[in-house]
Amino acid sequence: MDAVVQFTSQSQGRDRIFRATQYACALSIYLLRNKIGRKELVVKLKSLEAAMSAGRKLFRLGNTINSIEAAKRTMQLSDRVLRLCLTAANMTRALYFVCDNALWGRNVGLIRDINKERWSLNASRCYFASLVMSLSRDVYVILQLMSQRARDRHFRQKMDAHLNENPEVAGVVIPQLDAFLFLLLEIIKSQPAVALDTLKNICDLFIPLDRLGIYRSNAGVVGFCGLISSLIGIVTLAQPKFKIKP
Amino acid sequence: MDSWVRFNAQSQAKERVIRAAQYACTLLGYTLQKGGAAAELRKTIGQLEAHMSLTRKLLRLGNSVEALESAKRAIHLSDSVLRLCLTISHLNRAMYFACDNVLWAGKTGIISKLDMKKWSERSFRYYLFALILNLTRDLYELRLLIDCEERHRASKHPPSPHPGSASADQLSSPSSSPVALNAPPVMLAGLRRQLHLLATVLYSNPPLLLDLLKNSCDIFIPLDRLGIYTTGSGFVGLCGLTSSILSILTLIHPWLKLKP
Repeated sequence: MDAVVQFTSQSQGRDRIFRATQYACALSIYLLRNKIGRKELVVKLKSLEAAMSAGRKLFRLGNTINSIEAAKRTMQLSDRVLRLCLTAANMTRALYFVCDNALWGRNVGLIRDINKERWSLNASRCYFASLVMSLSRDVYVILQLMSQRARDRHFRQKMDAHLNENPEVAGVVIPQLDAFLFLLLEIIKSQPAVALDTLKNICDLFIPLDRLGIYRSNAGVVGFCGLISSLIGIVTLAQPKFKIKP
Repeated sequence: MDSWVRFNAQSQAKERVIRAAQYACTLLGYTLQKGGAAAELRKTIGQLEAHMSLTRKLLRLGNSVEALESAKRAIHLSDSVLRLCLTISHLNRAMYFACDNVLWAGKTGIISKLDMKKWSERSFRYYLFALILNLTRDLYELRLLIDCEERHRASKHPPSPHPGSASADQLSSPSSSPVALNAPPVMLAGLRRQLHLLATVLYSNPPLLLDLLKNSCDIFIPLDRLGIYTTGSGFVGLCGLTSSILSILTLIHPWLKLKP
C-alpha cells in the first residue's frame, strides 16, 4: 500500500497509470467492436477513454518547461552522439507539448481560431521525431555496449564455446549472424534498462506512424502497443534500476 | 525553472494549481455576470470550470487510500485530542474522496443513472465534517500555545501581591481607581491582552496561522453548496482561490505545513 501511495504521489506515476488505462480501453473497444450485446460496455469504455485523454491533456500543461529543462541538462553531456540525440529528442518533445497545449486550449474553447487537424498532425510529427531520436540513442548505446563486450576476453571465450557447441545444427547457417545475435542477447540480458527503453520506443512508434498515415495499422494494434509502452513506463518508474541513464 | 520542475513533479501540486484555476474561474464568472459581459464568454468560463473540476476528480482517484494511510498514522499520536480530531478528519476525507470517485464515474458515464445531487451532497457533508474537525484541531493547538505563552509571560514577569503598588507587570490592569469605574477599562484591557497574546502566538507560528486561515476559507465552500449558509459564487470563488494559494505556499515551503 505504501509503495502504491508513493508511486501515485508522483505526477508522472499517475499520468502513466491513466495512459495505460486509456490504451487498455482503446484495445478493449477494438476487441469488442463487433460483439453484439456489448454495445453498452463499448459506450462506457469510450467515455472512459475520452475522460482519460482529456484529463491527461490538462495535466500536461506544464510539461513544456520540463522538456526544456531536460534539454538544458542533456546539452552538458560529454558524449557527442548522446548529446545530439537526447537534446533533439527533448526539444521535439517540448514542441509536441506546445502543440498539445494549443489543442487543449482549442478543445476547451479558450483558443478559437486554430485549425484542429493541422495542429494535431503537427503534434504527431513532433512526437514521431522525438521517438526517432530516442530510438537512435538506444541503437547507439546498444552498438557501443556490443563493441565493448566483443573486446572483452572472457566474453569471447563464452562466444567461442557457444559457436563450437553444435556445429552440425542446421540452424547455424551464417555463423556471423549467430555471433551477432548471441552478442545482442547477452547485452539485453545484462542491461535490461536499454532493452526496455528500446522496446518502449518501438511500441510507441506505432502510434504516430498510424496517425500520420506512414504505416497504417488498426486501432487494436495502436491500443496494444500503447498499453505495452505504458506498462513498461510504469515499471521503469516503480523500479528506478530499470530506467535508462542518462 | 528547476523549482517549477520539482514542484510540478508532485501530483498534489498539480491538483492544487488546477484547483486555484478552477476557483479563479468561479470568481471570474461571478464578476463577468455582475459586469454584464457576453454570454459566450461566460459560457466558456463555465465550461472551463466544469472541465477542471472533472479533471481534478480524475486526479483524486487514488486519494481515499492516501487518506486511510494518514488515518492509520494519526492513530499513533500521543496527544488524545489531536489523535481523535486527526483520525476522524482523515476518515471523513477518505469518505469524501470515495463519494468524489463515484461522482466522477457518474459524470464520465461509466455508472449510468446516478443520482448526482444526492452523491454531491453526501460528499460535501463529509468534507464539511472533515473541515470542522480540522478547525477544532487548530483551535485546540491555539489554546495550548496561548496557555503556554501566558505561563511563559507570567514566569518572566511575576504579578505583584499588592494591587495598589506600582508594579512592573504590564499585564496587570490599572487598579488605583475605585472598583466601580474600573470594570469597563479592566475588561477592555483584559480583552486587549488576550488579543495581543493571540496575535503573538499566531505571528510566531506561521504553520498554525496558515492552516487556520486555509480551513476558515475552505469551510465556506461546503456551507454554500449544502445551503446551510449561502454566500454566493463570488465569495465561494474568492475563498477557494485563497485557500488554494495558501496550500500551494505550503507545498513550496514544506516548513509551513502544520505537523503532525
